Amino acid sequence: MDWNKNKNRFIISLIVILLFSLNSNSQEFDAEKYRMLYNFKTVKQADNTRLLEVSFNARNNEDTKDIIPVFGAEIKFYSSLEEKEMLLGSSKTTKEGIAKLILPGNQKYLTNKDGNITLNARFEGSDKLSEESEEIIFKNVHLELDLKEIEGIKTAIATVYTINNLGEKIPVETDISLYVNSMFAKMKIGEGSITDGEFEYHFEFPTDLPGDINDNLTAYLMIEDHEEFGNVIQKKTAKWGVFHQHKKEKKLTLWSQYAPIWMYVVLTILLVGVWANYVYTIINLFKIKNEPDAFETKNIIRNT
Amino acid sequence: MDLANRKKELVEEFSPMIVKTSLWGKLWIGGLIAIILVGLYAFFVQIQKGHEITGMRDNVVWGIYIINFIFFVGISYSGAFISGILHFYETSWKNSISRIIEIMTVLSLVIGPIFILLCIGRLDRLHYLFLYPRIQSPITWDIIAIMTDLIGCFIYLLLTFIPDFAILRDSKELEIPSWRRKMYKFLAIGYKDTPTQSKRLHKIKNIMSAMIIALAIVAYTVLAWIFSLTLQPGWNSTIFATYFIIAGLYSGVSVIIISMYVIRRVYKLENYLKKIHFIGAGIVLLVISLLYGYFTFSEYFAKWFSHKTSDTNLLNTLFGRYFWEFILANYIGIIIPIIILFFKKLRTIKSITFAAIVAVLGMWLNRYIIVVPTLETPFLPIQDTRTEYLFYSATWVEFALSFAGIAAFFLFFTLLIKLVPIIPMSGIIEHERKVIKKTKNYTDGLE
Repeated sequence: MDWNKNKNRFIISLIVILLFSLNSNSQEFDAEKYRMLYNFKTVKQADNTRLLEVSFNARNNEDTKDIIPVFGAEIKFYSSLEEKEMLLGSSKTTKEGIAKLILPGNQKYLTNKDGNITLNARFEGSDKLSEESEEIIFKNVHLELDLKEIEGIKTAIATVYTINNLGEKIPVETDISLYVNSMFAKMKIGEGSITDGEFEYHFEFPTDLPGDINDNLTAYLMIEDHEEFGNVIQKKTAKWGVFHQHKKEKKLTLWSQYAPIWMYVVLTILLVGVWANYVYTIINLFKIKNEPDAFETKNIIRNT
Repeated sequence: MDLANRKKELVEEFSPMIVKTSLWGKLWIGGLIAIILVGLYAFFVQIQKGHEITGMRDNVVWGIYIINFIFFVGISYSGAFISGILHFYETSWKNSISRIIEIMTVLSLVIGPIFILLCIGRLDRLHYLFLYPRIQSPITWDIIAIMTDLIGCFIYLLLTFIPDFAILRDSKELEIPSWRRKMYKFLAIGYKDTPTQSKRLHKIKNIMSAMIIALAIVAYTVLAWIFSLTLQPGWNSTIFATYFIIAGLYSGVSVIIISMYVIRRVYKLENYLKKIHFIGAGIVLLVISLLYGYFTFSEYFAKWFSHKTSDTNLLNTLFGRYFWEFILANYIGIIIPIIILFFKKLRTIKSITFAAIVAVLGMWLNRYIIVVPTLETPFLPIQDTRTEYLFYSATWVEFALSFAGIAAFFLFFTLLIKLVPIIPMSGIIEHERKVIKKTKNYTDGLE
């Protein structure tokens, strides 16, 4: 009887557990429980192309760690000026919820009289998701980086300016940062500000940074999250790394054509030592062989 | 002591062993030759078709050939080591076993390297090893060590044979063909047992004994380095050379015990190979088995404790696909001999021999699991290769050649003890001389 009771309890428990687990597995996306996170940013890249990037996610209102990327949403990018809109292109979000569009360096934008450009990233909505849109206003800024040795000092020269309608270079005020490429991310090696109508800023470049196998070191100059210019990156490579110098110190003597001297010396000593004994033994064998028979004839055989 | 008479007596006692061959003896030799012939046929097939007909492939490039090589060379080095040490001991019982060890040493060192030649895919390029040696390579060291050791062992064997060759040369009553008498005359190199000759021979034997002990250690260390100087998980170990030497001694002493048992039974040498010899050898085997067990444990324990991915993968292979081989080699092959040899009551001639057989089989398997599973579990996972290349299994060709090697060892052993008595007659006379001298000194002292 006890066994039957336990058996029934076991089966009921199993069914309940299965039901719950099935329920949790078949949970569907309920848009009302989620808040949409829609973020648009733009970066002017080192080759003067412009990256437009939208990050589109849904975050659970009750569990903020539960973030689901929105996959396959079509994002349209526009350049706009007052009522006018010019479609720049469109892109669908990936499984990570990212939609990207790279615009060429010579891309034309709608620009107002102050030189401001307005970009708009728009999701037009679907059955379950409502429309999303975000815009960025910025000025096109020119960022240049040069790596030079000035009076024996390795120097990174940053130049920042905008160009007005007349094609003249206009100095700007901004904070800039200098980075180098490292293994997993970029490492900041300097910060500075360009003010008071200056065009240039000079960074003293460190002399102890490792480069790649050919001593090359890539430096990145960045304007980051500037309210007027957004994100702008410029980069340049120079043979300023020191990694190769360390490598030269290592000598793989076992891989060389000839073995290290000590190896020849040790081997010679060992072999000469052993073979000299063999020769000595063989000489003694000949001496035994050539001993006169007089001993035998005189019967001087050891006889205890 | 009438020396001439005593020599005559000894020759009479041992002459049946070296002159006559019984029907069983002939069958034994015939059987061994048959196995060798099958091996030669397998070798012919291997030469004709290439290594494709063996189990060795791109990934597992070594198989039972290299295992046999390590095994035989291990026996040889341990024989040289023990023989060299025994030479310096003034004991009465060493004479009965010294020749068994010396013959075993030389024959193993002749047979072992042949297996290396069987591993070489392009035998026609063998001479490149000598023409263009790389001094940095452990393989070059091993070739130099083996050749030097082989020549040293041959010289040492000849030195120990010379007095017996001289006795056989001078035994006019011995009914042997004239070519054989001429051979004895040639090999005895005019030795007449004069005081000067005896003293000279003893001196160079002392030097060669010390030399072959050192050579055995160096040569087996170099052989271990072929494995341990690579970064291969399972081989790259600092204790590998010492481990190899202990393992070599373990198999060597076991083979000595088995040989003693067989020779005692076949040639009725109960008066020379006594229980005390087995007990002594058994205790030596016990000490070595404890050391060997300790080294085996240390080797695998360090791998297990490190938790390195490569070592973990190897241990997974060993305790997975090679579970029973691992248990037989490293548990049964060590624990059974220890149990038998540890308890005094269990130490009989048969049980000690049984322990030695278990040890030898365990030792061979140990070599197998050192070589094959390690090559099947390399540092980087094997990718984009044929499934049949991933794992090794020996083919009939490899087995035929392995058994041919073992048969050749037994055949040469049998022929060598037909050439010269397995118990050195000169050693018996030498021992009796010493006893008489001691007694005389004692009597002179009393007077």
